[in-house]
Amino acid sequence: MSFTERKRMLNQKNLIFTKGKKQIKKHSGSNRDQIVLTTRARIARNLSGYKLSGINSDAEKKEILNTVRSSFFTDKKSAGFDFYSVRKLSKIQRNFLVEKHILSPEMTFRLASKGLILKFNVENFNQSLSLLLNEEDHLRIQNVMPGLNIRKAYQEVLGIEKMLEKHLKFAYDRDFGYITSCPSNLGTAVRISVMVHIPSIIISGKIEEFIKKLNNIGCSIRGFFGENSEIVGNILQIANQASLGRYEQQIIDDMEAVCLNIIDEEKEALQAIKKNIPLIVEDSVLRSYGMLKHAKILSYYEAIELLSMLSMGIDLGLTGDDIRPFNFYDLISILGDSSIILNENMDLEPESDEIDKIRMDILRRELTADHGKNKGS
Amino acid sequence: MLCEFCKKNEANVHLIKVVNGQTEKLNLCISCLKDFSLIPSEDLLNDLNNLLKKVLEVDIKINDKVQNSKVFNTIKNQVNKVCSFCGLDLNTVKATGRVGCADCYNEFRNELLPLLDAIHKNHKHIGKIPERTTKSAKIEKEIRDLEHRLTQEIIIENFEEAAKLRDTIKKLRKKLAVGKKPVN
Repeated sequence: MSFTERKRMLNQKNLIFTKGKKQIKKHSGSNRDQIVLTTRARIARNLSGYKLSGINSDAEKKEILNTVRSSFFTDKKSAGFDFYSVRKLSKIQRNFLVEKHILSPEMTFRLASKGLILKFNVENFNQSLSLLLNEEDHLRIQNVMPGLNIRKAYQEVLGIEKMLEKHLKFAYDRDFGYITSCPSNLGTAVRISVMVHIPSIIISGKIEEFIKKLNNIGCSIRGFFGENSEIVGNILQIANQASLGRYEQQIIDDMEAVCLNIIDEEKEALQAIKKNIPLIVEDSVLRSYGMLKHAKILSYYEAIELLSMLSMGIDLGLTGDDIRPFNFYDLISILGDSSIILNENMDLEPESDEIDKIRMDILRRELTADHGKNKGS
Repeated sequence: MLCEFCKKNEANVHLIKVVNGQTEKLNLCISCLKDFSLIPSEDLLNDLNNLLKKVLEVDIKINDKVQNSKVFNTIKNQVNKVCSFCGLDLNTVKATGRVGCADCYNEFRNELLPLLDAIHKNHKHIGKIPERTTKSAKIEKEIRDLEHRLTQEIIIENFEEAAKLRDTIKKLRKKLAVGKKPVN
């Protein structure tokens, strides 16, 4: 084994991204960022001349993997990116990537020749630019950014595509555009999806109208972890449904308009609740508040639920000043099981109680105001 | 309001189904709801949070399921065709929702067009094209873009600009026709 190969292996073992600094922004404040939590832009591409992922052989997959990988890393712009073989990642690392919405849950089984080329923003682990190899399509380029950032997220994806296009020929048809495995991604193969946190819209019962409206304008709605996943913590994922017969720019403009509307609607709904807070809302917020103050163990989903209600409680002025204002997404993004295991350097397979206890410790540390400065008062 | 199922008790749970943009209300009492085993009862009484979450979950699952099956039902084939390039058959495409190769889209063109219309409300690509492509493909793309701009200018009644665009399109069409007949 050559030195560079060995070095790469070593890198893979320690996965640069696992040295997760326990960073958390102190209440970035902007309402906008608290409603549209993340933006994700992705395009799908397939190499011309190969069968698609559903039916191609392992040998072909391997060839595709090597072709894309070598063309990517010949370019100077690949600096900062690392290649990972998904099969060689540990289970915890794979789960971590799922929690960060980089790998889809489907990407974590049938691992033959699945690859990942990834660059994290070391300042903020919620921002990453990555290429998935041999998933549903040969190649998917995706960019996850915090807040509402559709244009920039897409531009960066496009930059990667342009760089690869110098070396690779993508399957394309004059009528159908870029070829994809699933007919629902055909055409531009662009999918813009945003994660929104809309407790007020959901609680004020406007969700029926809301979903109807989004469906009518061609948006699909999913839960926290994409297709068929459940709704947790009043968080929905909203994405464009149509990718064929529209310009990339139209898709981006429309999704941005959708987001701005959602922000307005959520703010309006919050104001309406604020005027006359229903007893059941107050009760629900204060229950969450009490649990977060006094619980000893907490599961991930439960934590998200409680924090969603608590953040709403802060907006409604229902909580005391013993809770420090927090950025909802920054906080929940360090509470996933694998994030905790990696951040806290825990045993790779701890008892679930142990994780749940540490989760509560982290929460208490992040939520408690003043860290004992007021001793004696 | 009375429960729609037992028609005896007061309906105090209102489920909303959203199917393909159509909403449908279901008014139930708690005991009927339990019979449907959608939601465990203690959650109902105690926790607004969970209730909302679960109701929504049910809705969206219904939504997804119906939409998917409906969409792929738009593929109507009498016989099970096979793609002559990759060997995948149409029934498998229908069952998995995935095609086997780029040529499948042309091999199954007639069967897939209604599907594309159902998903995208369109079946003709107008977005970006690969950098390395034929000259005529580039001109075609330019024409498409100009036509798109033309309709927009007409909507805002900017006829002067529209006329200019129309002329440019004409020129490009000619260029394309010449390019297609290299003998002339």
